[in-house]
Amino acid sequence: MKITMAGFEAAWKYGELFWQGVVCTVSLSALTVIFGFILALVLALCRLGKVRVLNILASVYVELFRATPMLVQLFIVYYVVFANIDLIPGFKLFGFIRFNRFFPGVVALSLNSGAYLSEIIRAGIQSIDIGQTEAARSLGLTQRQNMRHIVLPQAIKNILPAIANEFVTIIKESSICYTIGVQEIMSAVTAVKGATFKIAEPLIVATALYFCLTYPTSKIIEHFERRMSLGDKR
Amino acid sequence: MVTSDSLIQVRDLCKYYDKGRIKALDGISVDINRGDVMVVIGPSGGGKSTFLRSLNLLEVPTSGEVIFEGVDITKKRDANGEKIDLNAHRQKMGMVFQHFNLFPHKTVIENLMLAPMKVKKTGGEETREKCVALLERVGLADKAETYPIQLSGGQKQRVAIVRALAMDPDVMLFDEPTSALDPEMVGEVLDVMKELARNGMTMVVVTHEMGFAREVGNRILFLASGKLVEEGHPEQIFNAPESDRLKDFLSKVLI
Repeated sequence: MKITMAGFEAAWKYGELFWQGVVCTVSLSALTVIFGFILALVLALCRLGKVRVLNILASVYVELFRATPMLVQLFIVYYVVFANIDLIPGFKLFGFIRFNRFFPGVVALSLNSGAYLSEIIRAGIQSIDIGQTEAARSLGLTQRQNMRHIVLPQAIKNILPAIANEFVTIIKESSICYTIGVQEIMSAVTAVKGATFKIAEPLIVATALYFCLTYPTSKIIEHFERRMSLGDKR
Repeated sequence: MVTSDSLIQVRDLCKYYDKGRIKALDGISVDINRGDVMVVIGPSGGGKSTFLRSLNLLEVPTSGEVIFEGVDITKKRDANGEKIDLNAHRQKMGMVFQHFNLFPHKTVIENLMLAPMKVKKTGGEETREKCVALLERVGLADKAETYPIQLSGGQKQRVAIVRALAMDPDVMLFDEPTSALDPEMVGEVLDVMKELARNGMTMVVVTHEMGFAREVGNRILFLASGKLVEEGHPEQIFNAPESDRLKDFLSKVLI
């Protein structure tokens, strides 16, 4: 198939669709990052805590979600868990994102990335010297205060590169949600293809858009990494 | 002997590992009185650190009692059935570690201010003033805004000592405070500890510094194989040891 300027011009006419796709992909990823991270934190603390039942439950969850394909999880969430789609309000987010498809997408992505992120966070917490906790507890800090002020800030600093990697993965994997009709970037590609009979040009546009989202994300996290590593400089 | 002055009463303290096959502590009983500078000496693996760490329950004993200011903190509830808040007792027992354990992501002054502000909920201004004064006391006021990694070992340990002091503890526990230091930095840390002792701070010190034990300590505990082998005044311990185990130990460490 030939790639022509005319093809890009044809795709350009549907710029609005791509723009909506970007807004949708960003919202999808941002919400996934937030919910995924909260879930991951809870899972990690469950796995490291003293309650044996929670240890086991969290392990089973993590192993299950890491050992099955994302697409299967997405379909199960969309077609099985949310089968009765009337339960979700059918309004349109920003006037164009169908919430009853968007929401299951967020749920599936969050459940999946939560499993991966929790392993990263667990490794981060375990990498902190036990002496830090002993010092904090000997000063009278509670377990919770120790986690919040001493262990987690250091753990998160250590795992920032891995977290950045996971965030970028979420942006890229969110494209899978087009299979359940979420109007993100890939769904814009399909729509433009249907209208113009051109596939190469919209795909190139989509590639560029994804890159414009993922590259700044990793750069922003790099910036935070530098700021947080002040304590490492001699 | 239980006196009204005793701050910590240790009763038949045991710590077993591996289902009792390893006895790190094997029935230790001792009273630590207010104003005591109790120095714990003994061979490696003899239970010194385990003993010290059991006092604030960083190490949970297998059996026995640690009665701190009248409360057995090894129990979940006191005699009246009230729940014992271990954190409330721990904040009155300052601890200094062999490897300093400063918080590397916080500046020196933040290291000091954290516990008073989060645990005692004291105000920012008064806490800062107090912590700056503490840093001045150990000659490190100019390091307030630096991060621990920029400090020498001796400076780190002095910061760790004042970090514990910032909570106004009733007793200070030292776990081999000079063992990880370069030899030329040992003196500056011992000087701070001597000053503390002179000001009447109750101290329990695990150390290999026999000079310090002899000069500053008013009581010496000799622990070996998890047992309290000999206890006494430094003069007696160093000049007239009774047990063969202590004689053997001293012959190896002195001179």
